[in-house]
Amino acid sequence: MMGGAWRRLKSDRYGMTGLFIVIVFSMVAVCVWSGLLGQGWSDVSGNRWESVSTTHWFGTNLLGQDILQRTLFGTATAFEVGLLVTFCSTLLGTVMGALAGWYSHGWLDEVILWLKGVLDSIPFYLFAAAVAFALQGIPWAMHLAMIITFWTTTARIIRGEVMRIKQREFIEAARAIGLPSIKIIFRHVLPNTFHVLLVQASIVFVAAINTEVILSFLGLGIQDGVSWGLMLAESSQEVLAGHFGNFVAAGTSLFVLLMGFNLLADALQDALDSRRATA
Amino acid sequence: MLKKTKIIILLVLLMLGGCEQPPPTDSGLPAKIYRHAMDGAPGSLDPAQATSLYAKFIVVNLYDTLYRYKYLARPYQVQPNLAVAMPEVSEDGLQLTIRIKRGVYFIDDPVFEGGIGREIKAKDFVYSIKRHFDPATRAQGAWLWQNRIEGLDLWKTEGSDYDKEVIGLRALDDYTVQITLSRPFPQFVHTLTQGYAAIVSREAVRKYGQMLSNHPVGSGPFRLVSRDSVRAVLAKNHGFRQEPFDLTDEGFDPAKHEKLGIQQLQGKSPPFIDQLEFEFITEDAARWNAFSAGELHFIKVPVSQFDNVLSQRSPLTLSPQYDGMYHFEASPEAGFIYTNFNMADPRIGYHPDQEQNHRNHALRCAMVKAFDWEKRNEIFFYDIGQVFPGIIPPSVPEYDADSDTSYVQRDLKGARELLLANGYDETTLPTLEYGFPNSVTERQIFEQFRNFMTDAGYPASKIRPLIFATYGDYQRAYSQGKVALINSSWTMDYPDVENNMQLYFGPNAAPGSNSASYNNPDYDRLYKTSAVLNESPRRTQIYREMNQLLMNDCVSITGISRTLLFLWDKETIMKPDRSFLGGYFMRFVDLVDSASSTAP
Repeated sequence: MMGGAWRRLKSDRYGMTGLFIVIVFSMVAVCVWSGLLGQGWSDVSGNRWESVSTTHWFGTNLLGQDILQRTLFGTATAFEVGLLVTFCSTLLGTVMGALAGWYSHGWLDEVILWLKGVLDSIPFYLFAAAVAFALQGIPWAMHLAMIITFWTTTARIIRGEVMRIKQREFIEAARAIGLPSIKIIFRHVLPNTFHVLLVQASIVFVAAINTEVILSFLGLGIQDGVSWGLMLAESSQEVLAGHFGNFVAAGTSLFVLLMGFNLLADALQDALDSRRATA
Repeated sequence: MLKKTKIIILLVLLMLGGCEQPPPTDSGLPAKIYRHAMDGAPGSLDPAQATSLYAKFIVVNLYDTLYRYKYLARPYQVQPNLAVAMPEVSEDGLQLTIRIKRGVYFIDDPVFEGGIGREIKAKDFVYSIKRHFDPATRAQGAWLWQNRIEGLDLWKTEGSDYDKEVIGLRALDDYTVQITLSRPFPQFVHTLTQGYAAIVSREAVRKYGQMLSNHPVGSGPFRLVSRDSVRAVLAKNHGFRQEPFDLTDEGFDPAKHEKLGIQQLQGKSPPFIDQLEFEFITEDAARWNAFSAGELHFIKVPVSQFDNVLSQRSPLTLSPQYDGMYHFEASPEAGFIYTNFNMADPRIGYHPDQEQNHRNHALRCAMVKAFDWEKRNEIFFYDIGQVFPGIIPPSVPEYDADSDTSYVQRDLKGARELLLANGYDETTLPTLEYGFPNSVTERQIFEQFRNFMTDAGYPASKIRPLIFATYGDYQRAYSQGKVALINSSWTMDYPDVENNMQLYFGPNAAPGSNSASYNNPDYDRLYKTSAVLNESPRRTQIYREMNQLLMNDCVSITGISRTLLFLWDKETIMKPDRSFLGGYFMRFVDLVDSASSTAP
């Protein structure tokens, strides 16, 4: 199945463009984490609002910090948030969804659905901002806020998948030989939801980066360091004075990365959709 | 059919009546509406809780105080407002007798019998001050009079019973107040100009309680029409006492004020405008755009626009494109910006071990040396702030222009040497939290601070941001000693530098106003000696000694006074103020007839 999916993905020009963009940004993030790039994000290396030059490719900000260095570091921040939030919320959503789907129409399903319903009924950004605000001062407040809000969609999708898969013969067989439910769920059911999880994870990744930028813009994001959201927040005070370095650098990076992820997510969805493959 | 038409007309009329229309003018001319931009929103408008600059601005327009500052006189001079004259002071300086004006009424409100405002009496002033000492009020202004008025603190501890008389705060008759101080307090009359000292009616407090903020019942030049998170609309109080404007009394100086057109106000009774609108626009860009579009009459120019607005810095000159359109004023701030070290924190402040105590002192002094005031001024204050050593800013007469400025000169070499000599290196330097409320500028200020310190060898990872959602949260945290490096600003409450000196008086230690928790017996002794003195060369000398003590102990990285730039359109007759006069100037604002406007 995966081989076919990869072939279909390779033949999708937009999907490959998205993949290329994501790989480039991922490499930047890895280089920042390894200490090869962006380490001077906090240093004052120039004068206030220097324009674009060979020394400062995107110019400098109010303090004289190099905007390119900050943009590169911001890439690592985006990936750190994206990866952590995607992993945790997907894991949580998968477990909750699997339990709800397996025990569908039972009390556990009811409780999970109720919890999900409550969380979904609150406007997303409002809720994430409220949680981040309430937990402000805790270093992982923003991450927690996103994990709390993002797991519900994954859980809903996985619940549906599990309800479908558990009717299948091989599951009936596993039950018949007396395998415990937990083993069946984790060994036989969830591996069959991998393609859905992969697509969903890429969507969550995009949402996490987007939300990080918004929360950081509002001052509810990262505590120490720099992110594209903080750069955009800085730019809101600079644009009127005619300085666009922060805005262009952070805005463009965000746009390109999100576009890349969206293209990749769409392509993945098409490539992993078995119905489309057989059509 | 006719009946139906009549009903529709009636409904339309009712709806129109419900709209917020400016009050009709007696002359039939268009209503004069003045729109004032504020860069923040006020909290409560209850005078007892009016802590912010923005709230005070509005409160003094809704309520009366016994005294205010003269509109135009600089240095600032106190002037009777609701009081008939300046207080009669006993020989020992402890007893003040104040007579209040007769025939001054609260605005009409259902809290009064028949809905008609009653006359203000001396007992209303007594009640208003007592409220600050009633825990139920959750008042913020008690510090002004704490341990100052005979019996007032005792009244609080005995249960705040309003029917119980306070020996030092009495209404001798309907129009005479007598105040007995427990010790001389030369600045006392200044405290009566504060928004906290505004006079409220007991009936209004009883009826509205915590909602008094939304139902102000005062006797000021304006009354509140509406208020929300973005705007407050005040209308002229037509019952405001008639007191013709006197140029001489208010300190008019033709050389300074004639170009503003203020002489035209001579003999007229304020307020001169029909409606006063405060627009709370925190975002610099939005505020500037609204002003540029002509939606506002006044703006405090955002720093990001200084390049655009000024053609040169010395002397400050308006760009030609604005010169023809606006009046302009550069106003030195009555206050300063500083970064305190938390002296109660053994990592950086006092330490029981004498040797470590000495090392901590060296560390603080090294950080003072590493700080670059020149750069701070250039980046955040457009190089037009005034850097000065200590806590006596250039705006007060006690400032010594010839003093040694080495405390505010960057000395990186000295900083490194000091650290090295005291055994500090990257591993032994303590990790310190630098606190600030959440905002882009505050974060930039932190990053700059951290850069200054890293230049001296302090590892960036050892100066950590401690970010708070609101300034209130931040204030609470540093008041509880939870912040090692406290970045803050101080705006003087009254034009007497004693107001600054008390910031480091030992008994005022956190959670009091001494946020550094500085505790030096020599400083405290000098403060007590100076606190009972009137302005004099001796007092100035004492203040300067205290200032030097603070610098010797490296208690604070201080300081700078900002220069604020004001712009207002040429059709507005006024001299704005954001300092001690504050919102009092609003009653004297006038618009030339062509500028009288209707809402956009």
